Order: sequence, then structure tokens, then C-alpha cells
Amino acid sequence: MTRNSISRRGFLATGAGGVLAASFGASPARAATDVAFQLSWLPSVQFAGSYIAKSRGYWNDLGLSVSLNPGGPNAPVEPPVVAGNALLGISAADYTAAAVAQGAPFRIIAVAMQKNPFVIASLPDKPVNVPKDLEGRKLGMALANTPVLKALCSLNDVDFDAIEIVPTQYDAAPLLAGQVDCLLCWETDLPVAMMMRGIKPVTMLMADYGYALHSQTYIATQDSIANRRADLIALLRGEIHGWNDFHADPDAAAALTVDMFPDVGLNLDAQKLQAALQVPLMFTDVTQAHGFGWFTDDSIAANIKTLALLGQDVSADLWDRSLLEEIHAS
Amino acid sequence: MTIALHQLRRRGADRFYPVLSALVALLMWELLARVFAQTYLIAGPVEISRYLWDHAGLVARAAGITTFAAAIGFVLGNAVAIALAVAAVLLPSLARLISALALVVFCLPLVATGPILRVIWGPGLGPQITLAALAVYYTTFLPLMVGLRAAPPSWFDLVRSYGRGRFSALVEVRAMASLPYLFAGLQIAAPAAFLGAMFGEFTGAERGMGVLTIRAMRSLDVAGTWALASTAAAISMLAYAGLGRLSRALNNGPPPLILAPVLEGERRARWRALLHPILVTLILLAIWWLSMEAANLSPFFAKRPADVWAFLITAPEAAAHRATLGAALLETLVLALPGYLLGLALGLGLAIVLVLAPKLARGVMPVAIALRAIPIVITAPLIVVALGRGPAGTITIVALMIFFPSLVACYQGLARTPRQVLDLFDSYAASPLRRMASAQFPAMLPAFFAAARMAVPAAILAATTAEWLATGRGIGGLMALTASTSGYKMLWSAVVVLAAVAVAGYVVVAQIERAVLRIYGAEQLTR
Repeated sequence: MTRNSISRRGFLATGAGGVLAASFGASPARAATDVAFQLSWLPSVQFAGSYIAKSRGYWNDLGLSVSLNPGGPNAPVEPPVVAGNALLGISAADYTAAAVAQGAPFRIIAVAMQKNPFVIASLPDKPVNVPKDLEGRKLGMALANTPVLKALCSLNDVDFDAIEIVPTQYDAAPLLAGQVDCLLCWETDLPVAMMMRGIKPVTMLMADYGYALHSQTYIATQDSIANRRADLIALLRGEIHGWNDFHADPDAAAALTVDMFPDVGLNLDAQKLQAALQVPLMFTDVTQAHGFGWFTDDSIAANIKTLALLGQDVSADLWDRSLLEEIHAS
Repeated sequence: MTIALHQLRRRGADRFYPVLSALVALLMWELLARVFAQTYLIAGPVEISRYLWDHAGLVARAAGITTFAAAIGFVLGNAVAIALAVAAVLLPSLARLISALALVVFCLPLVATGPILRVIWGPGLGPQITLAALAVYYTTFLPLMVGLRAAPPSWFDLVRSYGRGRFSALVEVRAMASLPYLFAGLQIAAPAAFLGAMFGEFTGAERGMGVLTIRAMRSLDVAGTWALASTAAAISMLAYAGLGRLSRALNNGPPPLILAPVLEGERRARWRALLHPILVTLILLAIWWLSMEAANLSPFFAKRPADVWAFLITAPEAAAHRATLGAALLETLVLALPGYLLGLALGLGLAIVLVLAPKLARGVMPVAIALRAIPIVITAPLIVVALGRGPAGTITIVALMIFFPSLVACYQGLARTPRQVLDLFDSYAASPLRRMASAQFPAMLPAFFAAARMAVPAAILAATTAEWLATGRGIGGLMALTASTSGYKMLWSAVVVLAAVAVAGYVVVAQIERAVLRIYGAEQLTR
């Protein structure tokens, strides 16, 4: 889709963006380019950097009017980016690789979560501290994540067949009700829910045991990277600015998120906790040295290895660092 | 005087008993919640009230936006249903084609249609409204088709004898005859529209009951989850009651005595019977392909008929694809079929009990509506926790989803027994059971079979939704997995296979229906 073609969808997206801009008090930029950014989940501090960039006008200053499209449990994330309805999308290395295998011309152009947020969460009276502890335990997880568990097992010499998998919804209740001994989940959601109820779970970050997989990755099509490069760079620039603000004051970012989305029913304390847990996953030595969103050749190699364990053969071509290089060179 | 006093006291007692039973139910609910407080599964009325008090604005705004989307979808979906039914009656040669198209579109699983609708509509209420409309149009269309035929042949003869045509018959005879059936359909549709709108929010939204429910469930907010479920149920029950009141206000006429000649066998040529399904299939494929081309949908996710054909038939790994799909389908059907039969039997059974014991109806109907109105999103995990992740949980969910529409349809059908027939039974002092078996039950059969046909896609929908939301197994789990990992060829193949299975099931029920109605409801087959 070329920049000037106005489809009905593009028009709708613009309308929503305009409403958002009006309701958040951002001044309408003159001749700003309308772009849509497809997020991967419901609004929460998980995307606080983008909310900061939008509300503080970082994108407006760069000549962009950005509409942030929310995700959800049944939301399409990759399709709007393929179709050109969204210029940029939030995916994860495994989902991106799967989409590319199905013919989507994606590249990963930046990485928000340097460390994969998957953890094994358990209760202190029967903790899972290391992968070996999983043997003989009942693990509650979505069956769709079976390859993830298999990869963790083969990375750490754990007997996969010794783990009893119980298919559960994405919900901490089965653990608290004693139906399972542990859960496969993100560090930043179910454990936060438990902590808010005064329960301190034990979490084992899978990234600390060889599960190297970029998460919350920024994806764009090769076509956009070639033909809408300036817009993409402006989008990433504002995004990086927003996330740097987040890093400087995660609590303020949580407060902003709660204020921006009064109808999602977010709890400020839970959002603050989630923001705090998110910081070490997003800001590491690599981002310290190169800036937010950066990824090294070493991490690409480690990702390729993990993806192979997940049954996905990809090459380093899946990643394209040229936009970040351009941003950080100037 | 004493008689009047006695009546007055009775009326007081009639009003008192429902209040008392409601109080007892609330008390038991509260006790249950307290006993299981540590399991994070149930919240009692006290906790729910506190949550609603503390979050009144939030819940009101969410309920407002979801109700708004559901209401628009309800109106649009039902308008389409009425238009389709009228078209089918005015153009009998197209009736079967229209029915088949309506069925197939209703069979499309939400897991697959939701994301596609989001891509087509972009941000906003588009998918919420569309899914609400899709959830209601079929449950109105089917009963309406029955109602439009529920008139004595002599009335049509009368219209003809005045030299008037089909249109006059529609306005003068069919429209009035169909009203009770239309309202039965609309009542079933009200909770379905709300559910559809909530599912629409799952495809990406920033406000609404679906958004709040997902957030509450993931953050162990049991009080919130139950408060939202109660609110959704209350809204659905209000809509149900309101439509019921409207129906009674509009429809005071007694059901007519229908005496139609028993059919003497089919006159349709055999080759046409064979040609018809092929024609319908071709038209469906054409619509599928053309609509995707017209909307210029990206072939990455919008797979065309040829893609599915290649994936299942001609590709090198086609056999493996078929095996995966077949195994998942079997896993689902093994649970959907018992759930279907159970739900249908329960709906029919309870409808009969309620007609035999009318006092019970006042207490049971609200509970039945509430059970249906609580979104499956919330009930599915609860049932799975209560009954385990084995077959019992999924079967119960399917049965529950089918039970309510079947109950409403059968209950309405039983009420359609002509007064003259009942008077005859009364004059012979026949027992209520005898009256049920020989008069009311046969009169209900068209409505029952409409419910049985409607329940085929509903059972598949319920089973796949339960698998998607709770167990992660079967074809529902497969579709959820492939939708998130860009396996769109498998996803579309699953959609096609599910639609085919639903149509096959529908045809089987329709064949049984024809055999039965040839004797008990011949007017349904002639026109």
C-alpha cells in the first residue's frame, strides 16, 4: 500500500487516531503523517513507552500522528502489518519466524524485551528453583506452549516425560487452588496478580536457563523498511524516547498508563509492580551500551539456536538492525 | 367475601414465594463462596455488591459500550434474519439456497472470524457489532421460517380464492402467524448478542465488558470477574424480560388450529436432489473467493478456496495435514455429540415439566436465563474447574449452551397448542399427561426440530469455544494455536471442515424432522 492511498480502513484508523489525540490533549500537528502501530495485548504498562511517546507529543514533534491499536486474546497482530493497515507491529521472535515461514515478509527491526519474560512460577512450599525441579511436578500451561517447555527441557537435560502437563487457561487460580504445582507464564502478569493478593511466588526466569528468545519485538515488512523508512525511523525514534522516559521513572509511566486508559480497569499498584518487573527484562548491559531496542549479533545467534529447538529454522536475515543503526548514528 | 380474602392471601403468597426462594439462593451462593474462598473461584453476593459499589462508574461505562454494540448488532442481525426469511418464503425456489447460506455463515467459528473482522474493520466497534449480528441472525431466522409456515392451509386457500398472491399471503396470514416464533427467536438472541459483542472485544479493544473480564480473570480478581458476569447476566435477563413483555403485548391471538394434509411422498426429481448440494457448494466457494478478492484481503491470512484445496488434497504433506485435522476434529466431536443430545433432552424435558407444573416455571425460567446469560468466557473455566479437564467439563458446557435455546423453543412450542384441541381434551377430562402426550407434544414438534437444527452449529460453536478458552484440545485448540502462529492454511481448512460437519449434522436432523413432521406438522413441509 502506498503512502497516499486512502482506503476505508486507513480512514477509520485516522478517525480513531484523531479521537485519541483529541482526548489526550495532544495538539493536532500540521500535515502530520498518519500511521498505525499494532500492539500485541490489551492496554497496560507493557506498552508504557508508546503511551509516553504519544501523550508527550514525541511522535507529533517528528511529524507523525500515531494511532495505537490495542491487541487482545483473539486479536490479529501480524495480519494488519502484512496488509499494510499498521506500519509497525509488536510480535515475538517465535511468532515472527512462524509468520515468515508462512510467507509474511517481516523483519525484526528492534527488540523491547531483551530477556524472554517466560517464567516457571511456583509457591514457596514446593518451589521450582531450577529446571531439574520440574521433574515429577504438575505444570499448568496452555498446550500451545508445549514446544517452549520442550526447548527448556532439552537446554537443561530435563526429562520432558517426567513432567505432568495440565492444560490450563492463562490464570493463576489453578496454582493457588492446588490443582498444579507450577505454571508456565510471563513474569510480568500472573506473578504480579499473586503478589497483589499477598502471595509471593517463586519465579524461575527461563532466559536464565538458556531460553534466549527476543520478545516484544518490533516488526515491519521489507516493503515498509525500503519505502517508508523515514516514517519507521520516526516511529522508532519516538518509541525509544518514550521508553527512556519509562526507564527514568517507571512509577510515573504506570500512573500515565492508568490515566490514559480509565476504562480498562487497571490497578495503579499492580501497574507499578509490573513496570518494576519489566525494567530488568528490557534494560540490560546491551541497551546501556547501545540504546533501547538494540540487539547484538550474539543474541541473534542465540535466538537462532532457541528457534531451532522450537522447530523453526531461520537465518540472521530475520533481523534488520539498519534502522536502529541510523537512529543511533545521528 | 371469604373467597375474595382467600384469593388475596394467595396472591400475596404467590408474590412472596419467588422473593423467598431468591433470598435462599443468594444465601446459599454466599455460603458457597465463603467455603471456597481460598480457591479463587467463586465470589459471593456481598463481595460482588462491594465491587460494584466501588467500581460503579467503570462497570457502567463498560456495560454501556458493550450493550451499545450488542444492540446495534441485535437490530442489524435480526433485520437480516427477517429479510432472509421473507425472501425465502416469497421465492420458494431460493429457499433452500438461502437456508444453506445462512447456516454456513453461522457455522464459521468465532476464533477464526474475529481476527479477520478486526483486520477488515480496523480499530473501533466494527467486529463487536458484526459478531453480535452474526450471533443472533440464525436463531431468529430459523424460528421465523417455522412461524411463517405455521398457518392452516385453508387460510392460504382463502387468500388465493380472492385472487391474491404470495405477497398478500405474507402480509395477511404469515406475518401474524409468525409473531410468537419471531419473539421466541428474539428472546434467545438477546443474550447471544451480548456474548457476540464481548467476543468482538477480544479482537482488540480498549473498553467494554470483554476487556474488563479478561483483565479481571488474569489478575485473580474473583470479585471483579463475578461482578462482571452478574452484570452481563442482568442485562441479558432484562432484555429477555423486555422482549417477553413486548411479545405478550403484541400477540394476544390464540394459536390457530392447523390441519394440514399428510404428505404423500416427494415429487421432486432425484437428479435435482443431487444437483442442489453441488450448486450450493459452488455458490459458497464463489462468494468466498469473490469477497476476498473484492475486499483485497492479503493472501497471507485470507486463504482462498484453492489454498485450502492444495493444503488438504494436493500438497506433498496433505496426508499429514488431514491426519492432524481429522484427529482434532474427532476429539471435538466425541464431546460435542453427547453434549448436543444432553442439552436438547434437558431443554425438552424441562419445557415439558414446566408446562405440566406452571408454578415452577416462574422460579425456574429466570435461573435458566441467568445460566445462559453468564458469558461462556466466564462459565467455561469454572465448569472445567468443577468437573475437571476431562470430557465431563466440555460436554457440560456444550449442553448448557444448547439447553437454553431448546428450552425456550420447546416451551413456546408447547404453548402453541390450539385452544380447540385443549378444550376437546378437557371435555373428556383427560389427564395432563395424556394431554401432553397427545396434543401439546405433537404441536411442539416443529419448534423442537427448529431448536434441534439450530443446536447443531451451536454445539460445535460451544465445543470449540470451550476448547479454545479452557482445555486447549480438539479443533478449537488447534484453531487458536494456528491463529496465533500464522498457520492460516490450517485455520481455514479447519473452518471449512467444521462448516461441512455442521451442515452434515444439520441435514441428518432435517431428514429425521421431515419423516416426523410428515405426520405431525405437514404444514411445515408444504410451503
